[in-house]
Amino acid sequence: MVPYIQARNVVLTFRPKNRDPVTALQGLNLEVGHGEFLSLVGPSGCGKSTFLNVLLGLLRPDQGDLQLGGKKITGPGYERAMVFQEFGLLPWRTVLANVELGMELKGMPVSTRRQRSNELTNLVGLRGFEHHYPHELSGGMKQRVGLARALATDPEVLLMDEPFAALDAQTRDLMQAELLQIWDRTKKTVIFVTHSIEEAAYLSDRVAVITSRPGRAKKVLDIKLPRPRDYEMRLSPEFNDIKADIWHSLKEELISKGGSDGR
Amino acid sequence: MDVKEIYQKYRRLVLGVISLISLVALWEFALTYVITYDPFFFTTPSYIIVAAKELLLGDRLWRDLAVSSHAFLWGFSAAVIIGIPIGAVMGWRRRVEYALDPFLTGLYASPLVALAPLIILVFGVGLTSKAVLIFLLSVFPFIFNTFSGVKSTDQLLVNVVRSFGGKERHLYFKVILPSTLPYLVAGARLAIGRGIVGVIVGEFFASSEGIGFAIAQFGDTYRLPEMFVGIIILSLIAVALTEALRKFELIIAPYRADMEIR
Repeated sequence: MVPYIQARNVVLTFRPKNRDPVTALQGLNLEVGHGEFLSLVGPSGCGKSTFLNVLLGLLRPDQGDLQLGGKKITGPGYERAMVFQEFGLLPWRTVLANVELGMELKGMPVSTRRQRSNELTNLVGLRGFEHHYPHELSGGMKQRVGLARALATDPEVLLMDEPFAALDAQTRDLMQAELLQIWDRTKKTVIFVTHSIEEAAYLSDRVAVITSRPGRAKKVLDIKLPRPRDYEMRLSPEFNDIKADIWHSLKEELISKGGSDGR
Repeated sequence: MDVKEIYQKYRRLVLGVISLISLVALWEFALTYVITYDPFFFTTPSYIIVAAKELLLGDRLWRDLAVSSHAFLWGFSAAVIIGIPIGAVMGWRRRVEYALDPFLTGLYASPLVALAPLIILVFGVGLTSKAVLIFLLSVFPFIFNTFSGVKSTDQLLVNVVRSFGGKERHLYFKVILPSTLPYLVAGARLAIGRGIVGVIVGEFFASSEGIGFAIAQFGDTYRLPEMFVGIIILSLIAVALTEALRKFELIIAPYRADMEIR
């Protein structure tokens, strides 16, 4: 059976003017099942985010084949939506209007939009903040808006680019738990990019370790933790073993990079 | 609410008014009791007030203001209509930027009022010359501010709109225009100041009416209190226009209301 999302031999080279070209992805292969929660971990600058942008359709690979539900990805599409690391909220729009952005671009009627954005604002726990502007919200609240906006167009696939990296530790834990609940309820396919081994292990069905640039999927680990997951699981020995596995796989990459950021 | 609280709330207004009144009082006091001066070359607030009353009750001042506003309106509107699109295209298309930049930067930096005699030569004495001069002076803030506004549009927001299926026109209206708006308002503020300079210079050189002509004439005939009235009215108009612009910005971009205070 063909997997829901299939990336075969994806190659992408950035060619900035006046600088040497940088190969961000070199023959990346990855398969994602429908409804699966897959995380990508890897050293900074390994091309995880680049790959996500390729999946989103904002970047075009030089080579390789990307398919979603048996169809080639050629550009952005309503079956995919991204949650951005730096939130990407429009500062001149209120929470509700930000949530409506995707629906607006999709051409949904105003009444449906209003109703749905209200529902989603509730779902992500922002009731009472509907008419606030982004600069009046905390980081966690901003990312809730980002999540609601991505869910609003009812995509099949949620692409999440280090969505909680800019948040403090407690907010992060809270958001992870809520994301799992929402994922459980909505049955989206999630591809989640993160730096955090712990976050990847806690959230995912599978974790793909990406090599340092040029990026390739070095190893894909199954996370055999029962669902639904709760915070307590993070304290179990099994969880630590999983983290150790990911860490070992990642360690060689970090060493080969010399710990530099590479950007 | 006690006095202290009222003060805290209206501190800005209170301090501003006090400093203004003090300055006027000091001016009056110093020239009345401390320094003797030649009324040919200087005057005091009390004379200005008397002159103001006279001018405001007569109709010459109002006629002059109407004539000047007419020219200002034409020149300024042309600057908006022509400046904003040029700036927008420059900000969005690198090739246009490179092609126009040296030319526009040169013009912006040079003292354009020096062109006034040439403009009068070409367009003659009257409304057209003044409007052209006002246009030339006030178009550049619109071009350059629109340009920087478009240029500094957050690429992330552009990507966000693209990722949700937004087309080129969506980028213009949902990202670039709203994020350029504050730059436009700032540009308009500069343009108002420069435009008023255009009115004055235009009327100094080539006019027999208008507030600029009036100021020049009062000056030439040593009617200093009247001249000051003209200058003060001009600055009041400039302040009023700038304030109106600020209010307008708060209406079209309410999200900036409490960002501005910081």
